[in-house]
Amino acid sequence: MNPITGRRLSRRTVLRGLGATVALPLLDAMTPALARASGAKRPVRLAFTYIPNGVTPADWTPKGMGRDFEFSRILKPLEPFRDDLLVLSGLAAENAKALGDGPGDHARAGAAFLTGVHPKKTAGADIRNGVSADQIAAQAVGRQTRLPSLELGCEESRTVGNCDSGYSCAYTNSISWRSETTPMPPETNPRSAFERLFGIEDVALTPEERARRAQRRKSILDAVGERTRQIMGTLGPSDRRKLDEYLYGVREIERQIERAEKDQVEVPPGVEKPAGIPATFAEYVKLMFDLQAVAFQADVTRVATMMIGREGSLQTYPEIGVPDSHHPLTHHRQQPDFVEKVTRINTFHAELFAHFIAKLKATPDADGTLLDNTMVVYGSAICDGDKHTHDDLPVLVAGRGAGRLHPGRHLVYPKDTPLTNLYLTLLDGMGVRPETIGDSTGRLEHLDA
Amino acid sequence: MLPLLLTAALAGAGAPHGPESAFEETIKPFLQRNCYLCHGARLKNADVDLQAFETARAIVEDPEVWEKAIVKLRTRQMPPPPMQPLEDAEIAAVTGWLESEIERAERARPADPGRVTARRLNRTEYNHTVRDLLGVTLRPADEFPQDDAGYGFDNIADVLSLSPVLMEKYMAAAERLARAAVFGAADLKPTLARLQPPLARIDPDTRPLHVYDVDGLSLPNALHVTHRFPVEAEYLFRVVLAGQRPAASEPLKVALWVDGRRVEVQELDPDGAGSFYDDRQDFSGKTREFRTRIAPGEHWIAASIVGLFHGLPAGYGGPEPSKRPPFVLEFKPRPGLTPERLAEARRRFEERLKDVAPANDARVRHFEIVGPFEPAKGPSRDSLRKLYACGHLGQGHAPACLRRNVAALARRAYRRPVAPAETAPLLRLAEAAREQGDSFEEALSLAVQAMLVSPDFLFRIEKDPRPPATTRRVSPHELASRLSYFLWASMPDESLLRAADDGSLRQAAVLRAQVRRMLQDPKASALVEAFGGQWLQFRALESLSPDRERFPTFDSHLRLAMKRETELFLEAVVREDRSVLDLIDAPYTFVNERLARHYGIGGVKGQEFRKVYLPSAANRGGVLGHASVLAVSSYPNRTSPVLRGKWILENLLAAPPPDPPAGTPRLDEAKIGAGMSLRQQMEAHRSNATCAACHQRMDPLGFALENYDAIGAWRGQDGEFAIDASGRLPDGRSFTGPSGMRAVLKQDRDAFALAVTEKMLTYALGRGLERYDKRAIKDIARGLAARDYRFSALVDEIVTSAPFQMRRKDRSSS
Repeated sequence: MNPITGRRLSRRTVLRGLGATVALPLLDAMTPALARASGAKRPVRLAFTYIPNGVTPADWTPKGMGRDFEFSRILKPLEPFRDDLLVLSGLAAENAKALGDGPGDHARAGAAFLTGVHPKKTAGADIRNGVSADQIAAQAVGRQTRLPSLELGCEESRTVGNCDSGYSCAYTNSISWRSETTPMPPETNPRSAFERLFGIEDVALTPEERARRAQRRKSILDAVGERTRQIMGTLGPSDRRKLDEYLYGVREIERQIERAEKDQVEVPPGVEKPAGIPATFAEYVKLMFDLQAVAFQADVTRVATMMIGREGSLQTYPEIGVPDSHHPLTHHRQQPDFVEKVTRINTFHAELFAHFIAKLKATPDADGTLLDNTMVVYGSAICDGDKHTHDDLPVLVAGRGAGRLHPGRHLVYPKDTPLTNLYLTLLDGMGVRPETIGDSTGRLEHLDA
Repeated sequence: MLPLLLTAALAGAGAPHGPESAFEETIKPFLQRNCYLCHGARLKNADVDLQAFETARAIVEDPEVWEKAIVKLRTRQMPPPPMQPLEDAEIAAVTGWLESEIERAERARPADPGRVTARRLNRTEYNHTVRDLLGVTLRPADEFPQDDAGYGFDNIADVLSLSPVLMEKYMAAAERLARAAVFGAADLKPTLARLQPPLARIDPDTRPLHVYDVDGLSLPNALHVTHRFPVEAEYLFRVVLAGQRPAASEPLKVALWVDGRRVEVQELDPDGAGSFYDDRQDFSGKTREFRTRIAPGEHWIAASIVGLFHGLPAGYGGPEPSKRPPFVLEFKPRPGLTPERLAEARRRFEERLKDVAPANDARVRHFEIVGPFEPAKGPSRDSLRKLYACGHLGQGHAPACLRRNVAALARRAYRRPVAPAETAPLLRLAEAAREQGDSFEEALSLAVQAMLVSPDFLFRIEKDPRPPATTRRVSPHELASRLSYFLWASMPDESLLRAADDGSLRQAAVLRAQVRRMLQDPKASALVEAFGGQWLQFRALESLSPDRERFPTFDSHLRLAMKRETELFLEAVVREDRSVLDLIDAPYTFVNERLARHYGIGGVKGQEFRKVYLPSAANRGGVLGHASVLAVSSYPNRTSPVLRGKWILENLLAAPPPDPPAGTPRLDEAKIGAGMSLRQQMEAHRSNATCAACHQRMDPLGFALENYDAIGAWRGQDGEFAIDASGRLPDGRSFTGPSGMRAVLKQDRDAFALAVTEKMLTYALGRGLERYDKRAIKDIARGLAARDYRFSALVDEIVTSAPFQMRRKDRSSS
């Protein structure tokens, strides 16, 4: 896909971003003035949290439907937020299934979770996925904030060897994809994430120095941008794709510099720069969630993704009595003590997520709380990690989306309802109205009433 | 036809009769007898119809299915029971004929060298390149997003994408690097990092041992971390202790270690002899501070308790007992107690005595690193040398000098000759800064900053052949970069650039001499870390987390030692130009005291690694005896013969088993350790015909290593079951244990040569291997065998191969 060519978002670009047959949606970003008038007061934020390796389905699904549902064991830590949650059953990621491609469910799940697209099976030569829902949102509303989107992750170890059955690690490492070929790898270092959010580095600069630096950066970008366009013409298509990514990055920084000149983002009071990665996993995940909450609070970005682990994660959890590696453990063949351990990991993740929800709920925003103005999807594109099923996925949505969601319910949708239908509805709530996302077939109903 | 006749008939094939008559007379009857029943026009099992190939020509034009058939025949997977098993000679004759016909046809076609996409530097390459370009030791890429991997390596051009976040990091890093090179590292505010073991709870051994590590480094009460230091400066290390030591002990000694070197020892409570009121001295929260100067980069930092059992009261039986007056707990009951109360008090006193007994669990609970303080000022001498082609810092500079410096830097940064038109924008930036009143140095740093974010620096872009040509030799400078990023994961140095400038790098002798020189350079350790670490997967040690309950001896100290052993071993193979077959059965390895203890090798004292020769009783030798490899091919809580067998097939024998078909029943782990041994369970699994085809190849290899536990220590039992390390391969070869398997692997040296060739060629090219590379792979592997399997032969063969020397046009569509 070619990069966006103007400072403004052209409709053509958006159409390409969405993949194909799109009609003519009216996007807020195309009419910035309008967007500012309607959305500046209560901007809606959109976040996705990914949990790897599926869950123990029996311990995830709540009993009962509608308002009177009973929290399941895994979701129990989220019970204090009953009135802020929509637990959604029946959603499916059809394109995470093999569909003739053989093994590789983890890679496909990671890749398809937000794209709804069946990723091309390749160890590298011709990676191809779709554009993810968060990036569709970011490409539309991202121009209103300093960063179009934020990608975080809590697995900082390097991958070694092959990731999943002939699939490149790009598919398991990133759920967010800016284009069919460009994943957005998550930031795993809290200190770097903080620096990125607030443009603060170790070196303290005076406002004059800062302005001068911005000026220099701009002139450097002008120079290298021009140089790149010169050499582009001499390159073959695959080389050009790589340089396209580069040029997109150059323009993105130019945009950020311009924006930073207009309004300096302030660090909310009481927030400090993290020293590094905390010693325990729980502290680590909570810190990353905190950063995401702070990013929303300071309106640095309105779109974020978070991977508690990369798909197929081998993380061990000795602190909760699970010294086993997560992924092999999920292939438990119903052996009770192994199932128990998987459930414990799932519950632990829900606990950490509850910390995030509490944080959002405790943060004032406009005339309510941050949680009121946010929509957070939490889930996985694998349901049963043992059997690698991709239907009846573990999915929930927290927050009210500035009145666009009506939480406090467990909704059960017909089997095989595309997960991407949910995203269509949520993106509508952001003022982005894409025609389709991946395999979507329509809007998901009943979220608002 | 009898097998021997068949062999004889085929031996003459090719010359007088030609391939077609050989096919008609011998191959076709063989296929009719053994294959067509299932893979013929009628059944087409597994979608394979061999009968559709009616001529030799048809076979060589569509050889893929036949290549699979060769493997199936050779590994005896086909024909399956109840068909009659074939005789060795018959299989050899038929597969040999197929192979040579396919190869002959392939060689008749023009070679396809393949094509590498514009490849951005990965994190390792970026760090190394800026070090060599600017003489700056900052490692900015450590904070870049992770590079995705493909084909088992993280330097694959097609997989290395560039996200906006990465571009932001490039921008910030360029600025830091340029300033650090020209002005020295920036003033960083001191920060505090708290480092503690992932589990707060540790269980130190409280028994007074007579034979123990006096340094304390390998005891569980020490703490080891790796920490990255941003600049050369002084850092403060605050060691926080916990635990207790019995009364009347000599003072406790705490040591700080940097990279295995003892920096300082401090006594805790040096003059407070008996200054505690209880029967034990409690160290909870007691701290000792150390200050030391540290070079930038990642360092192994450790705090340990030296001589843990020294200086204990004599009653504890430790070495060098305390000379302090014994601290005696006396029974001093309050006067006037009733006999019942007195008895109760005595009972309680005795309880307490019992409790007091061996109680030395002093330990390092965590430590804090604060810094940097008093960082080194100004640019390094190395930076000055690299930046200034003319003039010196702080002197007057003519404008021509700026131009010369920028041009010289750009040539090195872009790794090729640079036209004045290309340096012009850089100079414009610098000159504009000068006009605004900036210093010469400021202007230079701006030009450097621009170079570092230029696509010419960040990417290695090679020119495509000019039509109508479809292939071309890469230019001498492109070749120089291919060489240096292959062997050093860094930019070409001056010698290499010169050899490219004058074109001499194209001469075989010059190329060979350069390779020789480069392999001897310390920078070649990148090949060990990046290629070796990913091929043999010991990079995974970084995040290895064995079950602490089952493997209490595993700690970061052992983790680092495991990694070091394999690195030193591979370095020796590279530097001493040894045979790559050493990887299978070298009679030597490298250990320090910690690792030697893990292996049960006696007589090794101290932290330094040294080469040791292995008696056969040591049960080590070759990488399959390295704890690193054994640990990364295990689960955190148990070994897995399947994982290890698969590891060997994939990485050492170039025969990766296919993924299990969907719906394959998985190993029933429930029964392991309960009613059945792992082996019995595996054998049950293999009784399933679907599983058997692959598992009868994987499992015997894995079982041969069962005497090594999940962290690579030797064991005779697995739980309650005795280890049975015997195995039998589908081709009938039987063996027992690691030594037996080493012998089998040594017999399969051709397969090993193919495996190491495929892996290294993938890494060297930065792309996945395709069918058309087979020819090159075979040639390289043959060349390697012909030159006694020397490491340099492998590298020579790769760098002179068509895929490394050539490039074809882009066939993909935009």
